Amino acid sequence: MSTLTDRYVWGVVRAVPTAQRADLEPEIRALIGDAVDARTAAGVVPAEAERAAIAELGDPERLAARYTDKTLFLIGPRLFPDWRRLVSVLLPIVVPITGIAVAGAGLLAGNPPAEVIATGISTAFTVGIMLTFWVTVVFAIMERRSIPDLEEELVWTPDKLPELPANDGVSLVETAVSVAFLALAASLVVWQQTGSLVTIGGTSYPLFNADLWSFWLPYLLGLIGLQIVFKLARYLRHGWSWGLAIANAALDLAFVIPAVWLWSEGRLFDPGLVAALGSLGVGAAMRPTGIVIAVVLVAATCWDIVEGFLKASRASRPQVTATRNR
Amino acid sequence: MTFDEILSGTQQELRRGTVVLACLLLLRQPGYGYALLEELRDLGFAVDANTLYPLLRRLEGQGMLVSEWNTQEARPRKFYRISPDGERLAAELLADWNRIDASIRRLGQGGRES
Repeated sequence: MSTLTDRYVWGVVRAVPTAQRADLEPEIRALIGDAVDARTAAGVVPAEAERAAIAELGDPERLAARYTDKTLFLIGPRLFPDWRRLVSVLLPIVVPITGIAVAGAGLLAGNPPAEVIATGISTAFTVGIMLTFWVTVVFAIMERRSIPDLEEELVWTPDKLPELPANDGVSLVETAVSVAFLALAASLVVWQQTGSLVTIGGTSYPLFNADLWSFWLPYLLGLIGLQIVFKLARYLRHGWSWGLAIANAALDLAFVIPAVWLWSEGRLFDPGLVAALGSLGVGAAMRPTGIVIAVVLVAATCWDIVEGFLKASRASRPQVTATRNR
Repeated sequence: MTFDEILSGTQQELRRGTVVLACLLLLRQPGYGYALLEELRDLGFAVDANTLYPLLRRLEGQGMLVSEWNTQEARPRKFYRISPDGERLAAELLADWNRIDASIRRLGQGGRES
């Protein structure tokens, strides 16, 4: 039966290059032997002494790494800041673009919306994992092998300092413009029904399906009202907060999800208008156009939500004000 | 962080490197791993076995120590001894140590050169 010492020595030597083994093995045996002898001389039972001597030396792989100067980490402090910078720049760009592109392609191919969303999310997720994995692999290699060109690139200089974040306080003009725009949108919702917004061949058509007045159009008007309240709150609060970012996301989703859903069900637009457009011969172009608009709308909404959180996170950090050059 | 944690962390930093110098000076007389560990501990150096042994080998690889297997006793042991280069290194380190010691002493007595 193999002793603890044999197993320990094996644990160390198998983790060092063959050339060093012949010399290291007897040395470690002697070190353990001496430590055991010292303990038994002090009155410890041999088995206990062996255990204690080996426990003192610790994890054999760690000891072997100390003998061979192997790195016991994937990416060390020298490269970690660059690794984190690169990953945190790449992920927020590549992942959403991939997701939206894949979802857009799916929509154009006429796949069902649920499948399109699922494919978009799973592809974006996979791409995120792959991206992080390969960047990490490259950095782990750089940690172990010197790559002069890349390392020159990574030398930190004062030019790499980030710009101070822009002041995210929201101006009165910006607020006034968005409130006016929202009020205009609300009046358009009413006017498209009562007035003559769209006229084809002498007949006026409403833009939206009149059935939607039972719930969805009043809901839309309510949302517009809430948006106005939101813009005013953001102005009065002098910028973003986590609460406002969450409210912004909720308002965005409350708009875009029903809108895309109603459109995909064919219930959004007035049937008379759709028929009239069809008779003009533009029916074939309507579905792809609608898809493009829907994709852009979803992308813009996603960006608006993300931007809200980014600005809230920036606003929650301590602010540094720029000093003037003297 | 408690005071004791701060103390042990700072002490560890302060002592890092002194083990190398102590080893070099001790190995003016040939010595083997376990005996050296005991000697260092008796002298008050809190050194771990798994730090000391790889350190000896590193110093050997750098040419600061030379080694020889002694097979005359029941247990063959690797004996380390300081090399001429090691002597030079030890002398430099010792001079450095004395300079630092003198400066720290002066500061400890509250005397800041002005």
